[in-house]
Amino acid sequence: MDSSNDEALDIIITNVVATFRTRCHLNLRTIALEGTNVIYKPEVGKVLMKLRKPMITASIWSSGKIICTGATSEDEAKLGARRLARCLQKLGFKVRFSAFKVVNVLAVCSMPFAVNLINFTKNNRPIASYEPELHPAATYRIKNLKATIQVFSTGSLTVTGISLLTRLNTHRHIKYLTPFYVQLRRHIGLRD
Amino acid sequence: MAAAGMRCPACGSTNIVDDDLYSQAQLVCVDCGSVVSEGVLANDPVGGSDVSFSRTTAVAKRPCTNLIKGELLPSKRSFSLLLQCNSVLLLVHFLKWICFTHTGQQRVKAICRILMVNREIEDLSQTYYKMAYEHKAFLKVSLQKKEILTGCCVLLSCRQLNWPITVGTISCLLDADSMAVGAIYQEMVKNLSIEAPIINVTDVIEAHCHEYKISSLDVPEEMAENSRDLTKRAVALVELAADSWIVTGRKPIPIMMAVTYLAWQSLKPNKHRLKFSLDKFCQVAKVKKLKSAMKRVAEIKEVLCKLGKEIPWVRETVTPDNVIQLVECILQNRYALLRRAMRTHEDALLEESQASCAEAPPEGTASSQISECADQAPIMSFVKQNGLNSDGKEKPGDVDYNPRVLPKHSDTQESQNPPPNWGKRVLFAPPCVIHAKKRRAVQPEHTDVTGDEEISDSEIDSYIRTPQEARDFALMQHMLSLSDSAKS
Repeated sequence: MDSSNDEALDIIITNVVATFRTRCHLNLRTIALEGTNVIYKPEVGKVLMKLRKPMITASIWSSGKIICTGATSEDEAKLGARRLARCLQKLGFKVRFSAFKVVNVLAVCSMPFAVNLINFTKNNRPIASYEPELHPAATYRIKNLKATIQVFSTGSLTVTGISLLTRLNTHRHIKYLTPFYVQLRRHIGLRD
Repeated sequence: MAAAGMRCPACGSTNIVDDDLYSQAQLVCVDCGSVVSEGVLANDPVGGSDVSFSRTTAVAKRPCTNLIKGELLPSKRSFSLLLQCNSVLLLVHFLKWICFTHTGQQRVKAICRILMVNREIEDLSQTYYKMAYEHKAFLKVSLQKKEILTGCCVLLSCRQLNWPITVGTISCLLDADSMAVGAIYQEMVKNLSIEAPIINVTDVIEAHCHEYKISSLDVPEEMAENSRDLTKRAVALVELAADSWIVTGRKPIPIMMAVTYLAWQSLKPNKHRLKFSLDKFCQVAKVKKLKSAMKRVAEIKEVLCKLGKEIPWVRETVTPDNVIQLVECILQNRYALLRRAMRTHEDALLEESQASCAEAPPEGTASSQISECADQAPIMSFVKQNGLNSDGKEKPGDVDYNPRVLPKHSDTQESQNPPPNWGKRVLFAPPCVIHAKKRRAVQPEHTDVTGDEEISDSEIDSYIRTPQEARDFALMQHMLSLSDSAKS
């Protein structure tokens, strides 16, 4: 039976969203003028700053709250955030890097078989929901891990949740997903 | 002066006089002092006031009901959209039920009447609306959301009582975006903790086919088709599409459109009909064409070709152009053809694997374990590069699924290249897997990043403009804004 951890599932983390605060007010016009790789959005009231290495996009608000997206690991997100804070420091603001927190992690995984979403949803009724007219994937919410898995008919899975955080938890997820993998194999119907 | 014939109700005397109190007219009994009758304190202008009491004291100004948008009166745009949705004879009944509804309950009732659902569904949707409206999640939402909520209640009760209806129809009726309707529907289902079954495309297709105006009354005889035949053929095509992974994960309406078009063509596959494109068909049937319906047509034709190849008495090669004539035959024998196609495909794969096995020492008994049953593909275990064995062969011990046993493959060549798409080895799979896009090579991950490294000044300087650059940039922006204002 399928119980080994180093089985065929490679979960690749594709996005880590993190927030931090600079503890000082930021003048968005100054940042837009003197920074490179920035996009100023005055209608929303923020500046988007893109870093090249690591590949990160940060939304900077004038209150000093910053959201970083696009990192592929927690450490990379922290490095990017610190780099950004340093950049703002150089621009002349009295930045103090504080309250760094990872808010969301997104990972993808690919099953080597197709999934019949209608049968899958029928068998997992309250946990799974599927609306073909709205979104092509079935949504499966794991309450105790606070994660959401979107199952596509091609066998791709998108896992979202803050508990995917550390490497340790990624293994937990693989462990959790492996019986899920077996269950999915059971539930893919050939004909309705 | 006393009114003649009036008696005081308290003492019975007739001595009643007009005694006005300030501006109020009063009739008073002289003997006991009781007020027999009094007039109104303020007089309304003759003919009623210009502004009614309710309107003067209304707390929130409401616009005139004539001006309220979307009070179940569809605009011209949504008339054509209504036809595209699978609502039956909406137009005729709609004209009877144009109404300005002031409360949500009335709106729910109106929607139910327009859709001509039965009494049970109407009652159930009223119940759900009451529950949802009073739920704390929907207490402080905007009016627009409450309007959408009425439609969602009807949708939910229709689904529970097996009345085929799509989200598209409801969003047309409410003149709202289907994504907004969907979001509120899902929120409602979650808050009320109700389970609702998903729509089955085969149920909805019947209603959808009725929308197409290709009976002999609307179009010339050579293009006309009986609705019942069309529906039957369309249902068979939809079932075939569902078996071959075309329906799962897709929006139902383009599939239904594609299937109706193919059914119409195949019922009388003469040259005239075969020349008709989907565009022209939709024009003739007075239905709005959907872009993705064309893709579905191509996918279904591909599946039909795969099955058409298996027909024993067909000598010529089956192409998407000449497969329409064979559709009737294919649909009649579709299960047998599916089995044949799967068997042929497995035999072909077996030969291929035996050929590759002959080169390398065999790992497992691949041939004996290929499953008999239809759509099961030989599964490749997608092991990460560092999970492979040292000699480069794949690990045996796949998922052992009862009663199907998965084959074990030894592909020494393939383990060195990136694993091929499993969709290439399967006969029927979701189309985006069969025609997968080429992926870019995965970027090497920064495994040495810890988050606390030193950040050099030169690196940060690359993100900051020099003062000269900043001045130039400001100047250019200023010039651009000047030229913009000069133009306008």
